[in-house]
Amino acid sequence: MVTSFRNLVNIRRYRWPEFFSLILPSIFIVLGMLQLTLVENNKNAANQIATVSTNSLPPLLSLGPNLLLIVALFATHIVLSWMIPDADQTLLPVTGMLSAMGVLMATRLGPYLPTPAPTLGYHQLLWVLLALGCMLATVWLTRDMRWLRLYKYTWALAGLGLVALTLVHALSIHDFNSPTHDQLNIGLFDFTFQPSELLKICLVIFYAAYLAENREMLSQAGTKIGPLYFPPLKQMMPLIILLIVSLLMFVVLRELGLALLIFGIFVAMIYLASGRLAYVGYSLGGFAIGALIAYKLFGYVQDRVSVVANAFEPGVATSTGFQVVQGLIALGSGGIIGQGFDLGHPTFVPAVHTDFVAAAIGEEFGMAGLFAILAIFMLLVYRAFRIAIRGRDTFQQLLAGGIGSVFAIQTLVILAGNLKIMPLTGIPLPFITYGGSSVIANFIMIGLLLRLSAPES
Amino acid sequence: MTSLSFDDFLLVLRIAMTVVLYLFILQVVLVARRDLHVAPVTPLPGAANRIIGHLVVVDSGKSPLTPGARIDIVSPMTFGRSPTNTVVLESPVVSTENSRIYFQNRSLWVEDLKSRNGTYLNERPVVAAVAVRPGDILRIGDVRLKFAV
Repeated sequence: MVTSFRNLVNIRRYRWPEFFSLILPSIFIVLGMLQLTLVENNKNAANQIATVSTNSLPPLLSLGPNLLLIVALFATHIVLSWMIPDADQTLLPVTGMLSAMGVLMATRLGPYLPTPAPTLGYHQLLWVLLALGCMLATVWLTRDMRWLRLYKYTWALAGLGLVALTLVHALSIHDFNSPTHDQLNIGLFDFTFQPSELLKICLVIFYAAYLAENREMLSQAGTKIGPLYFPPLKQMMPLIILLIVSLLMFVVLRELGLALLIFGIFVAMIYLASGRLAYVGYSLGGFAIGALIAYKLFGYVQDRVSVVANAFEPGVATSTGFQVVQGLIALGSGGIIGQGFDLGHPTFVPAVHTDFVAAAIGEEFGMAGLFAILAIFMLLVYRAFRIAIRGRDTFQQLLAGGIGSVFAIQTLVILAGNLKIMPLTGIPLPFITYGGSSVIANFIMIGLLLRLSAPES
Repeated sequence: MTSLSFDDFLLVLRIAMTVVLYLFILQVVLVARRDLHVAPVTPLPGAANRIIGHLVVVDSGKSPLTPGARIDIVSPMTFGRSPTNTVVLESPVVSTENSRIYFQNRSLWVEDLKSRNGTYLNERPVVAAVAVRPGDILRIGDVRLKFAV
């Protein structure tokens, strides 16, 4: 038995730090489910208990299927030890903790949503389990990374094709007023799929491959007139065309958050590749012009901007600004250490399990909990950039840096929206927001990071 | 057997969950800190011993090199117009075999191979072999290279 285990995982290179870092997320899940079980019990007047003693605690196995997540995390850990023992050891615990928070939140919020969804937690749990599988598959498939790089135009076209499908779908049903258009309903199991999540990955791979090839040209060539630097247009063209096409699609689909995310990826990656602030300057200039045009043309853009300016005005707080104002009230009622898990009332906020999950965390775990989650996101981004610094070639460096930027920009855009610092845009908080496509896409990117962090065998 | 009032127990749980979150952050930071001490890049076998640093093309002069390009330093390597050199500098002011650099006694040395227009280290002519330190600018004819590790 021992020898067969030795053959399976190399004991000397066993991922002990990762093993130990998974213990606290597991405790977090157990504590969360314990609290949830107790509070739910007590909400039923017949079962109320006044005191808690050690033998009135529910047994561990009655805490629900979410404990499976613990099993899945440790199983993934063992597979990783066998598959790539030298890969980064903080990524799985960090994403495990974030998805634990997501699954707990979905379990807690589901039954109390305006349209009750008692199975929301199970769904999220299943998505995370499936996503962990996808992550391992990604690690396996990218043993040799060259194919990612060679088929760069295929990736770009595939991503755009997926979004074009939704565009056709949205146009064919002539319904531009439903909140989210970026969805494809696939017959099986009433399954809704968001192509933009995959587009995100496709774009990062394409940019990384294209910029790796043209990096010298983009950072060195170009003309300089006085202090102004003009980039070489010929090398820029594929990037600009792709950017404009995807931005236009998302503006038509009213997915401003995604447009912003894609623009952010573009700026971050071109700056990473060229090291020239001029690109950032031109991009921001282009962004300002584009934003102005969108503001003039589309009513919904004006609405969202005006919500930031006057959310608490009488007519606004009850109509267009309702969601944002409720979110702020939820955050405010959380205070420093929060109301306690399952003890707040975050479901007053519309779409709390998707757009406003940060407000729910803020209400129930308080500022302390929300800051902790933010710190965990910062660790994730830090690790991604650290992997980028140690990358073997330009493509791998840019890929890791691009993935880090995706997580950073997404977190920033949705949190700034929730806090009324920026117009609200519906874009998922990575790993925490309820939703299968997003969780799977995020774990695929973590799979890429794991592969990038391991020395070539 | 201890018993707590229900609300006190929930308060304990709430604090425990927050504490777990922060302990987790601390733990990940400690794990992450460990690899700041390890060597940053695991060198590829074989190649590691040969590449000492890079020469970055600062000014390509009339040669077809791209400014900003990095040339791996191997020991020894020669620079000149002739295709037999390690680095071919096709510029009219570079001699057929202009300069040579090599690694000895833990430093990198440059010497001039009796070229017509000379080799310069930080704009001082290289007469006998001199040690090159990171950041130094090497000028061979009209090509300027910076030594970077």
